[in-house]
Amino acid sequence: MDDKKTKKFEEDKTEKKDETVHLKKEIEELENRVKRIFADYQNLEKRVAEEKRALIFNSNKNLLLNLLPVLDTLMLALAHTKDKGLELSIKQFTDTLEAEGVSRIETKDKLFDPLLMECVGTKEGEELKVLEETRTGYKLGDIILRPALVIVGKKDIDEKEKTCKN
Amino acid sequence: MGKIIGIDLGTTNSKIAVMEGGSPKVIYSAEGRNVIPSVVDPITHVVGDVAKRQLVLKPKETIYSVKRLMGRKFTDPSVQFDMKWLPYSIKSGRNGMAVVEAGGRTFTPPEISAMVLQKVKTDAENYLGGKVTQAVITVPAYFDDSQRQATKQAGEIAGLEVLRIINEPTAAALAYGLDKKNAHTIAVYDLGGGTFDISILELGDGVFQVKSTNGDTHLGGDDFDQVIISYIADEFKKEHNVDLRKDPQALQRLREAAEKAKIELTSAQEAQINQPFITQGKEGPLHLTMTLTRAKLEQLVDDLVQKTLKPTEIALKDAGIKASDVDEIVMVGGMSRMPKIVETVRKFFGKEPNKSVNPDEVVAVGAAIQGGVLGGEVKDIVLVDVTPLTLGIETLGGVSTPLISKNTAIPTSKSQVFSTAADNQTQVEINVLQGERPMATDNKSLGRFILDGIPPAPRGIPQVEVSFDIDTNGILNVKAKDKATGKEQSIKITGSTGLSKDEVEKMTKEAEMHAKEDEEKKEKIEVRNTADSLIFTSEKSLKEAGDKVNADIKKEVEEKISALKSILDTGTKEDIEAKTKDLSDSLQKVGQAMYQQQPGQQPGQPAGDSQSTADGEAKTGDKKTDKEEPVEGEVVN
Repeated sequence: MDDKKTKKFEEDKTEKKDETVHLKKEIEELENRVKRIFADYQNLEKRVAEEKRALIFNSNKNLLLNLLPVLDTLMLALAHTKDKGLELSIKQFTDTLEAEGVSRIETKDKLFDPLLMECVGTKEGEELKVLEETRTGYKLGDIILRPALVIVGKKDIDEKEKTCKN
Repeated sequence: MGKIIGIDLGTTNSKIAVMEGGSPKVIYSAEGRNVIPSVVDPITHVVGDVAKRQLVLKPKETIYSVKRLMGRKFTDPSVQFDMKWLPYSIKSGRNGMAVVEAGGRTFTPPEISAMVLQKVKTDAENYLGGKVTQAVITVPAYFDDSQRQATKQAGEIAGLEVLRIINEPTAAALAYGLDKKNAHTIAVYDLGGGTFDISILELGDGVFQVKSTNGDTHLGGDDFDQVIISYIADEFKKEHNVDLRKDPQALQRLREAAEKAKIELTSAQEAQINQPFITQGKEGPLHLTMTLTRAKLEQLVDDLVQKTLKPTEIALKDAGIKASDVDEIVMVGGMSRMPKIVETVRKFFGKEPNKSVNPDEVVAVGAAIQGGVLGGEVKDIVLVDVTPLTLGIETLGGVSTPLISKNTAIPTSKSQVFSTAADNQTQVEINVLQGERPMATDNKSLGRFILDGIPPAPRGIPQVEVSFDIDTNGILNVKAKDKATGKEQSIKITGSTGLSKDEVEKMTKEAEMHAKEDEEKKEKIEVRNTADSLIFTSEKSLKEAGDKVNADIKKEVEEKISALKSILDTGTKEDIEAKTKDLSDSLQKVGQAMYQQQPGQQPGQPAGDSQSTADGEAKTGDKKTDKEEPVEGEVVN
């Protein structure tokens, strides 16, 4: 009788042990899942923050890209009229852009750099040197808003290459 | 395992897309654009926008349009033709294959394409934040085996395992999910920057077969731009006797203005071209100002548009079908946005073409979907994790008031406070509905239950909070709780998302079909509810006003109340509206009379709770916005 009881007890014990192992494993799995979901969520939060930043940046970028041609025209007007009032107005405009993180791409006396400039034509002159800027380029922070359009010097220029191609 | 990207390796531009969270997403390049120009300087390893910027400076070392040479022999007539206009040098390489020469070295077209693909890979890795090793790449349907092999090789050189090469038109059809529709014959009209392709596909057992292809390898958006530029320049010359095409700076601005006008004219009827100080004339600066109408543009490009029809006819003939046999038409390429082109295609096939997916991205999107299928991310499962139809309850007048709208991701929960429709109403019945129609009877009732024991109170006072909760298994739990007594009642519905695909489609279609009549029906009920509410308010106001209002006004209001009551159930919407307005106008006199009775109060200021409410309700039609207040739409009993 006692043997039977002991046997039953042992069986129960093994069963409980198995169950405990099983439950522990299940808890571990669930914990892992929770951790994973938590990590996913944190990643998502980071991604959303990044996307928000990108959205603001791109909205500003698009607005600026639409405004820059107006500035180009004002500069052309200044070149023709040499009006002091217009000059001051342009300065006010460019100062505002600068305050918003927009900077002009310098091309004077520089060598052609395709990261910042786009070549729209070549002229006989010092190899790879920027000879003329046909449209000013701008950066917003470190990112190119639009490249500067330039005419670049070339030593042995042949007629076929002179044509502008895009 | 990393993501599988879809690549549209184009002649002019390449695009990338990837499946994210079960839907395709286009990947932007490091330069922040949705395209990467297929331009390469193989000597300095510069690719994309940056390489394109030096095209004029280094025309012999900057390689573009290399796809035109892919897998072709040097002696191929097409290579011989392209050699005449491409500025870089093309030679015969191993096995007589066409190769390009730059900086004294020769490169095979797959090597050049591999450089584009390397940039694609890097940009995709930056975006996804992990390694990318596998891809699906698209090729034109007319590419033969060696051209496909060459493309696959390009992928391998770039360090990508090319899981599959698929046809561009097939990718476009996949992007529209045409493999799941009952379309047998599909025409894909692809008008890109430099090439035009038309393909006829046949779908059988989930497999797309290309029946025929045709096109024009030198017809595209650039030709359209050129026509516009010439027109503007000619007009300017007529007026000022100056040719803008001879001034490189003016030409650059003209090119940009022409493209902008072309884009504007896809939505507007006319575009203003305004370029001050475009050039220098004999008597000072000259300005370009003109208006280009859509009609003029369409007249200008008509020849180009018509040029696409001949290849289309031949493709149909080769496939042995008529235009009317085509079940679906898919538009690809930026130029297919032009209304004139859509109209021409519609007329030709006698059917509305598919154009909802961005035509610049549609091929890359299709490639990403194919990648998703291969990676096991896309399965043929529909609507498992979203509610397929709107869930709501029935409110006064048999209106279906939505709580959870369709396509909401589950699990989700939503609650809203409702009130009673009659005075001393002690119970409300909650009828849980599913469907898109505005009227309860037209939707499917999922279950009903009654919440009773509401303390007797005037209509609109009790607050019954109805909560909907759907768990991950799609089981809907609806609970109604009386806020005053805390008494609640609930129901569990297991079939809320268990509709078959056909059922969902049928119900959605029905909702679309009946949209107009349903709207009218709903409007009438709303008008009736407003009237009913006004009658109630008016009666209440008269009772509260008592002797403060003279008998004439009282009589007038009472008459109008009974006039409105008499037509409430039988009258037309317009009649009820008119009589409601009559009553509302008269009721204002009651308000005025009461203010006059109270010296020291300025008209328009609240005199007391009940009065201001009565007046306010009469004007606003019983809509309360405060969250704690019972909202409009009472529960029927």
